Amino acid sequence: MIQQELHAIQKVHGYLPVDELKKLSTRLNVPLHRIHEVASCFPHYRLTPPPAVEFKVCRDMACHLKGAPEYVRSLKAMASELGGGQVEIGGVSCLGQCDGAVAVMVGHRFYRNKSIAECRSLLRDALANRTAATSPGDTHAQAPATHSPGRSTRPTSRATGWRIDPYEGREEYSAARRFVAGDNVAALLEALKIGELRGMGGAGVPAHQKWSDVRQARGERKFIVVNGDESEPGTFKDRELLLKTPHLVLEGVILAGLLTGAERGYVYIRHEYEPQIVAMKEAIDRAERMGVCGENALGTGRDFPIEVYVSPGGYICGEQSALIEAMEDRRAEPRNKPPLLETNGLYDKPTLVSNVETFAWAPAIYYKGGEWYRDLGVNGGKGARFLSISGDVAKPGVYEVPIGLPLGELIGKHAGGMLNGRRLKAVATSGPSAGFLPPMLPLEDLPRAARERLKDQPYLNLLDVPLDLQAFRDLGLMLGAGLVVYGEDTDMVDQAVNATEFFRNESCGKCVPCRVGCQKLVVIGQDLQNGRYDATGLAPVEDMVGDLRSAMEQASICGLGMVGANPLGTVVRHFRDDMTAYVRSTFRPATQAGIRTVEVPR
Amino acid sequence: MSIGLSPELASREEDEGLFSRDLDGQLVRMDKVTAEDLKRDVTIKIDGRSVTVKKAVPATDSQGGYLKDENNKIIPRATTIYDAACALFATGTLRLTKEMIEQGITENPIPILCHQSHMDPVAVCRMCVVEISKVKRGKMQAERKLLPACQHRVEETMEIATMATSEKVRKTVGTITELLMADHPSPCVKQTQTGDCELEALARQFNVPAPRFSRREPKPKDDSSLVIAVDHDACILCDRCVRACNDIRDNQVIGRAGKGFTSKIAFDLDDPMGNSSCVACGECMISCPTGALTNKAVVASKPWEGLSPPAERIHAEELIRHPIPEIRRSFRGATPAFLRWNEGSIVRRRFRKGEIMCREGEFGSTAFLIETGNVDIYLNSAMEHATSSGKGGILGLFKKFTVDHVLRKDTRGDASNEGRHITIDAPVTLDFARPTARLGPGDIFGEMTCMNSYPRSATVRASEDTVVLEFMRNVLYIMQRNKTFRASLEKKYRERAIANHLRSVPIFAPIRENPAQFEQFVNTLRDTVRLTRADPGDVIFNQGDRADDGFYLVRTGFVKVSQRRPGGDHVLNYVGPGGYFGEVALMGDVPEIQAIAPAGLRTATCSALDHVDLVQITVADFRDLLAQFPQIREPMVREAVRRLQEDLKSRERTEGVPLGEFLSQGLMNANSLLVLDLNKCTRCDECTKACSDTHGGVTRLIREGLRFDKFLVASSCRSCLDPYCLVGCPTGAIGRKGSVEILIDPNTCIGCGRCAENCPYGNINMHPFETNERVPDPERPGRSMAVYKQKATACDLCHHVGGDPSCVYACPHDAAHRMTGRELIDLVERRNS
Repeated sequence: MIQQELHAIQKVHGYLPVDELKKLSTRLNVPLHRIHEVASCFPHYRLTPPPAVEFKVCRDMACHLKGAPEYVRSLKAMASELGGGQVEIGGVSCLGQCDGAVAVMVGHRFYRNKSIAECRSLLRDALANRTAATSPGDTHAQAPATHSPGRSTRPTSRATGWRIDPYEGREEYSAARRFVAGDNVAALLEALKIGELRGMGGAGVPAHQKWSDVRQARGERKFIVVNGDESEPGTFKDRELLLKTPHLVLEGVILAGLLTGAERGYVYIRHEYEPQIVAMKEAIDRAERMGVCGENALGTGRDFPIEVYVSPGGYICGEQSALIEAMEDRRAEPRNKPPLLETNGLYDKPTLVSNVETFAWAPAIYYKGGEWYRDLGVNGGKGARFLSISGDVAKPGVYEVPIGLPLGELIGKHAGGMLNGRRLKAVATSGPSAGFLPPMLPLEDLPRAARERLKDQPYLNLLDVPLDLQAFRDLGLMLGAGLVVYGEDTDMVDQAVNATEFFRNESCGKCVPCRVGCQKLVVIGQDLQNGRYDATGLAPVEDMVGDLRSAMEQASICGLGMVGANPLGTVVRHFRDDMTAYVRSTFRPATQAGIRTVEVPR
Repeated sequence: MSIGLSPELASREEDEGLFSRDLDGQLVRMDKVTAEDLKRDVTIKIDGRSVTVKKAVPATDSQGGYLKDENNKIIPRATTIYDAACALFATGTLRLTKEMIEQGITENPIPILCHQSHMDPVAVCRMCVVEISKVKRGKMQAERKLLPACQHRVEETMEIATMATSEKVRKTVGTITELLMADHPSPCVKQTQTGDCELEALARQFNVPAPRFSRREPKPKDDSSLVIAVDHDACILCDRCVRACNDIRDNQVIGRAGKGFTSKIAFDLDDPMGNSSCVACGECMISCPTGALTNKAVVASKPWEGLSPPAERIHAEELIRHPIPEIRRSFRGATPAFLRWNEGSIVRRRFRKGEIMCREGEFGSTAFLIETGNVDIYLNSAMEHATSSGKGGILGLFKKFTVDHVLRKDTRGDASNEGRHITIDAPVTLDFARPTARLGPGDIFGEMTCMNSYPRSATVRASEDTVVLEFMRNVLYIMQRNKTFRASLEKKYRERAIANHLRSVPIFAPIRENPAQFEQFVNTLRDTVRLTRADPGDVIFNQGDRADDGFYLVRTGFVKVSQRRPGGDHVLNYVGPGGYFGEVALMGDVPEIQAIAPAGLRTATCSALDHVDLVQITVADFRDLLAQFPQIREPMVREAVRRLQEDLKSRERTEGVPLGEFLSQGLMNANSLLVLDLNKCTRCDECTKACSDTHGGVTRLIREGLRFDKFLVASSCRSCLDPYCLVGCPTGAIGRKGSVEILIDPNTCIGCGRCAENCPYGNINMHPFETNERVPDPERPGRSMAVYKQKATACDLCHHVGGDPSCVYACPHDAAHRMTGRELIDLVERRNS
């Protein structure tokens, strides 16, 4: 109840006044420190009154690449001139608008693809009105203009042309109806198994395995939770799926609920995704009216309510055990594992937590068959998936691609090739988590099996690698749902420091290696940028980064800490000249620096 | 990546770890461990050495007492890798002796920082990480990550590599220590004050060089508390203070606030500690491994003034490095920070030969530990009896020695005095005929008076020039937290006291007639009895429970025996030191008992009235005893039948008195109730006025309160037998000063309100008092005003004016009286009959 109550108080007051928190403590009979623990841990909650105008600039990856720091400097200068203390300018962690970089937020409203000049005039308008809510915000690139927070007139049918939607936009729930018509547990699991559907959130757990684990887990009460906390920089595919195909996500949840015997489903969505929250709530209303969820769902005689859980925010909520902690009114801090959520999840009950997209694929796979999905893949890959791509590409966005598509084709064909024909210097293949890889990867960085397979080549050409989780893992690499592409003139040290700052800001602070390690990495990077090291200092920097990378990977509780040193670690490894640039105090473009770049064919 | 696995399973392993699935590939639910697991063996290897431990151990509270569930069953907790390492190696803080090294004992190679044995593990500092391998699908396979030993359960076939054998662990732990040290203000306040910063000690132990990482922006200090200094810069967010405050003390003040590298501990809504609801109990401070929470040492406690021989101040350092190993060990449970914080609570006193150290019947609140010399411990009244050939009688003795002799006399049965023994508050029992015992260096006495604020149970005299350490309840409480200390008390009991204790139980009288047989009897029990402890209110067993726990003898404290009857619980009896209970249900095979009691089921609920020490004899041992010593069987049965019949009688007796109500209002615990006879009282309020006049205009009684029959028990201190208010006073300002009344020293009271909060009857009030401190008056520039401070006040029975309490004296209608709870119930009983 704490989270819902805090949401409610903030809605009324715009922040969380001390008196209200004290009253809440009495009302819920919960100690003050418990309330403060929660209130101070999530970025959504404010403990101080908000300024008249709150202007936030997204500071991560694509937005950083496109000059976000310069926006902040310029706007801050302007605010101190005009604002009279009534305006707050600041950076904000990835807003999931990487295809519209630089993205800014004024009050609750997003604006995409804004230049500094446009932002300055937005700020001027906001200051003139003393409130940001009066001017309409931008809509999403692919979103219909009818979507604005709080009001929606979403039509019941809108085709996306995506293969994930077997109903071409109609809300039919045919897969769920078919499931109920016969006892189709085995058939559904079989379809997921043949289709080799994997979790799309990053870990890539086979869906049939996870669903069957929760089905078989002992326990009267079980839960289904959709992880829609999409907060990883560079990743915004769930934004589109939640907005355009909420019915598929819901049907996936219903199928999972039927299969596992769960009593309730939750769709956990980050609070900044307001249109998505509205779309999902409306889809749930319609689905209840259609009788596919809620009371006596699909005529099974069992109730299966589904509700939206608005996340109070923070990248760490994407870590599934931290997400469950947040839902249980605690700080979003990952749990020590084992146990896993499949057996000991929400309220210690068996819980299926999966990514939005994993649920969204399930209806089509069950409806059209596992073979159909499997055969969508190419180059040995199985199935299809949604990838977000941003950075120095001509057409950043979300693409439904066959699994196994070579990386070069995603950049060159789907994303329209490199922006302004630049050469490719680096790719971040999993938001900031995998660090930054050069297009020509030295073989000695690969696992032995892969080295032997490629021994005739001097380098591994990243562009040839199929976008397939298993192929990446075989090469010792990580593949996420968000890829960010960097052109030849990018300063990789600057990008790495930025990515490390993200991890530092988003670390929950629970375990020492991550909390302290990320902060030290940021300082190392900043010291390097500020010229604190001379040429002899680079070897110690490499040692420090190496030691931290290993300790954080070995000893952190969750995935955030384990990958927190990858941005600097990979830059130290692959982009040494960008480091020495700060020692020489002159930055050389990659071609001069001897860093290999490639041209991406369109 | 593991070899020989299907890619699917291999990728699965990334996420779930080695121990997630059973042999059939099913995910294993992490269930709570069960009572069966307490008996199940698990063998693991740590650095190549095998160790067998139980799969679960009983969960304990901070004092080592077993936690029980609502059905009064022991709650098991899973045995961790760290537990297993502790079983295999000497504990980290223990200095190894030559013999231990010869026996192959080495220091525990797993360091801990955020973990403490009396807290639930949180595994946040990651100092205790180890490499774990386990046999899976017939092969030994390693976990991909290092995992925390403090939290990870033991599993069959597990092999652990600690920093003693794994370079990976050594390197990782080294880096983590270096990270923490980089931000640590070394030497921190704790290191400077007491030299025991745990982080700095680990850094030295691992030879961590000067950190390569630059230090973060220093975090602020919080100086707002009068007694505890907060330095956020030294805080490593180990969560120990949080658990100390919320789990150990249930004060619910400290939490973690903020997120990531800006997170910190916070009080309430991130208020300064001094403005928060903190009661300055000090638990967080003694739990803190670094200088984040330290003692400000500004409170000068003077409870020792005017003593003869005088109390000498003793420094914490001296206790830690005490030349007598036994004394050094006794203080191991108390951290140097704690000892320093409580320096005022421990003193040294030098008694000359023949001087009395404490007197039977006196109220006190301290315990003693002998440094050098010997003491005689004896009972005055019993001495009289011994020297005047049995005159004086047993009642005379127990009148002083027990608290409610009337109710419990039947526990004594009708055994003759001959050969009887008396349990006292020391690791010996006294022979009734020669009620003297001798204690020497390293021995502790007065524990029960200290914990329960009971009158002293015996007199202690220095038999030669003797030096003792005398200390207060807060010190003893922390000392008892240490396993070694508890174990050494137990050992002494088994060695010295058990024989006399068993001898003192009337029911065992027939055995002691034959000394050889009695010795055999004692030896049978010496090592198999379990010494258990219960806190006030703890249920030992419930009426209707299966009697599988055994038979109990009471060493110290009082056990309430009650039965559920229509109209509420009825107390049948109080069993005090020397008494026993729990035998009826174990004798279900005896026809006479079968006829009147359900076989194998408890016929009454037994619960602790105060801090109780019990000797538990298992069911099997009890049955063996009856079989082995047939001469005790018959009296045992007779006594049990008598007790059961007594129950029936008492049922009739108590029906006239609302005993349940009496108990629920806590009146049983009262030494001095202010009782107003409502038939006489005219509500003239003279009593309140008199109180106010006597106490500088602030009344300490309120003429309102609980109604009991035709009597009003006014809100005024009851001088309880077991005063809850004394628990947790951070400065020792509240206490019994050799008398029945509870006194609060206004000079040392810091106004924390802890006692007022603890008093269940609302009889302690907080009042502002003018202090000598002056501050500028904001309303009258240039002038100063006095600072007012909250102090606790309670009825002192007009201690300072002598004679009758003014309230009683002032009553013009003879309506106000002071009496004990027992007297009140007798009054009501008389009235109703």
